[in-house]
Amino acid sequence: MTTEQNPQSYSDATQAKGEAVIELTDVDKFFGDFQALSDINMNVGSQEVIVVIGPSGSGKSTLIRCINRLEKHDRGSIVVGGIELSEDIKNIQEIRRETGMVFQSFNLFPHLTVIDNITLAPRQVRHEAKDEAEESAMQLLERVGIPEQARKYPGQLSGGQQQRVAIARSLAMKPKVMLFDEPTSALDPEMIKEVLDVMIELAEGGMTMIVVTHEMGFARAVADRVVFMADGEIVEVGTPEHFFTNPEEERTKLFLSQIL
Amino acid sequence: MTSSAPVLPGQTRAEWVRRNLFPNWWSGLTTIVLAPIILYFAYRALRFLFVTGQWDAVQVNLTLFMQGTFPRDEQWRLITQILIFAFAFGVGLGTNSAASYDRAVDAGLDVEKGSIVETLTRMWSLVAFIALLLFFATTDDIGNFINPFLVVGGALVLAFIGYQAHRFPRSLRNLGWLLTMTFLVIGFQVVSGFDTGGWVPLGIIYGITAYSIAPVDRFDAPWLRVVLRLVAAAVVVFALRAIYAAVDSPGIGWDEWSGLHLTLMVSAIAIVLAFPLGLLLALARRSTLPALRIMATVYIEVIRGVPLITLLFMGQFILGFVVPAGTVLSAITRAIAVMTLFSAAYIAEIVRGGLQSLDKGQNEAGQALGLAPPPIMRRIILPQALTAVIPAMVGQFISLFKDSSLLSIIAILEFLGVRKIIHAQPDFRSVAFAETLIFVAIGYWAFAFAMSRESQRLERRLRVTR
Repeated sequence: MTTEQNPQSYSDATQAKGEAVIELTDVDKFFGDFQALSDINMNVGSQEVIVVIGPSGSGKSTLIRCINRLEKHDRGSIVVGGIELSEDIKNIQEIRRETGMVFQSFNLFPHLTVIDNITLAPRQVRHEAKDEAEESAMQLLERVGIPEQARKYPGQLSGGQQQRVAIARSLAMKPKVMLFDEPTSALDPEMIKEVLDVMIELAEGGMTMIVVTHEMGFARAVADRVVFMADGEIVEVGTPEHFFTNPEEERTKLFLSQIL
Repeated sequence: MTSSAPVLPGQTRAEWVRRNLFPNWWSGLTTIVLAPIILYFAYRALRFLFVTGQWDAVQVNLTLFMQGTFPRDEQWRLITQILIFAFAFGVGLGTNSAASYDRAVDAGLDVEKGSIVETLTRMWSLVAFIALLLFFATTDDIGNFINPFLVVGGALVLAFIGYQAHRFPRSLRNLGWLLTMTFLVIGFQVVSGFDTGGWVPLGIIYGITAYSIAPVDRFDAPWLRVVLRLVAAAVVVFALRAIYAAVDSPGIGWDEWSGLHLTLMVSAIAIVLAFPLGLLLALARRSTLPALRIMATVYIEVIRGVPLITLLFMGQFILGFVVPAGTVLSAITRAIAVMTLFSAAYIAEIVRGGLQSLDKGQNEAGQALGLAPPPIMRRIILPQALTAVIPAMVGQFISLFKDSSLLSIIAILEFLGVRKIIHAQPDFRSVAFAETLIFVAIGYWAFAFAMSRESQRLERRLRVTR
């Protein structure tokens, strides 16, 4: 395991273009003795789309789960929208309201209808009135292309539809950043496109996004920067073009040769 | 496992007998040996039921079985209670069936709309038991000044009227539930009395209602909303207290209840009290606060390790040391307290199982949306966890119902205990023990079986969307 980093590729690509929405500085994370993240430094600028790739167990999911405190990092600092993550539950909840998250296994609430899934957080957290919340929920469902499913239960929908509901549910809190944790990995192949299309549209609309995925086509098409992780470290960061045509690190080359 | 083999189309009776009773030589031999034995026992059983059985022990004591030592000249209270409960049952059923109908239509699912008849079919064990009561009642002339047929007929009519609540528009569903609960409490208090302290149950129901429907949306400050909600709840509660204080009409307290009425009431009260207590214990056991967690764990494990009958005896002797000096607790109050505390420990474990069965993604999804822990628990975790444990929970309620028969051992005259009075009568001093026992057994079974059927239906309905 190497800790040295290539200073060149690092310096030009790690810095966000605009103002940083997310800043990770020297972040370490342990699960018992196992170091899941080591010395992570990363900035995400406003409206930037970052795609994180890497072999399984490389810490990609842990990285984005630390950003909204589903996992607690052990060292370093994480700043989201100008707020530093701390132990304070109020502070954590504020950051969570600014960051939407989409899970690999959707995690919709099976006992609630689609529209209730979407309006739950706006009504509970922001105390929106029912009509108001349902109106915005319907707009979001239009946007992800399934307004006719509003009164159904998640169990009645296909995987692709469920994941689109999950995206709409996150968007309902009007987050500044969206985190995607392998959003298409649990989907049947024919449903991947409908979810990616929604994500592409979201990116084009100017949403700041961090996407953990194995969809290289998506990375090529939408990413501003691609982050390659292995063994809990950021190995290489670069533009998609640079990354896919001219990777510098051995581990990156190896990984790309295995999946492409 | 045995199951009756259906007669296949085109199969003659003879073929059926051959295929199911004599398919090969050893099965044929078994049939030849067992058939006479079974027929003999069936003959003895039927002979006992219809010829030798002294069912007059049940027949002449029917009122005693139903209400035991409850004051006879206050019987009108029990009759009124039955009628009000029937109405509340109807309203609840109507509201429930309309609500599930709405949900099914919205989600484009197969529509399942209930009815009184459908419900009675499902609860056929209860219908059969009531039919048995009516059969015996035709010749019972002791202490009955009201025709039981009129009571049952009236209850059916009232249930049917109440069921019309399913015609309410959707916006009135919650009103339907509120009416159901109100009539359940009033039905209870027709017997127990509308005395000064009786405001508590309706106070809780209407206080919570006022708190949740108070029109405070136009105020932006969260603290102001909470204050206004609390004020609304307080106003309602004080109004109810004033009404009860003004009416102040005492009834017959549970110390004087007895028979099947006491059995049903003790079970219902213990279930209603044990459920929230068990829920709190389950949450406490999963709490991150060590003190709370340890206390809940110790409580649950101690209670679950001691037999109920021991606790009931302890309740009679020890509870007196715990409560403030001078407090007089009747045997029935102590028994209800012990049954509640006992069941709560079991319910806590059942709920904990439900909480553990949930995928942790549910909690994470709630957290990721910025929800605080209490709404995550209330809106996301508990509804799913409780649905998952309905069968186990109803199983616990059925145990509680049957275990209430242990009260007869601590000299409380509930359904089973009433037999002591009956067999103290000169006519039945040393006869008809089996007859009264069988009757009591049928009674317990009828209710327990109905509960079990209801739990199966509830489980199916709540899972329909999974």
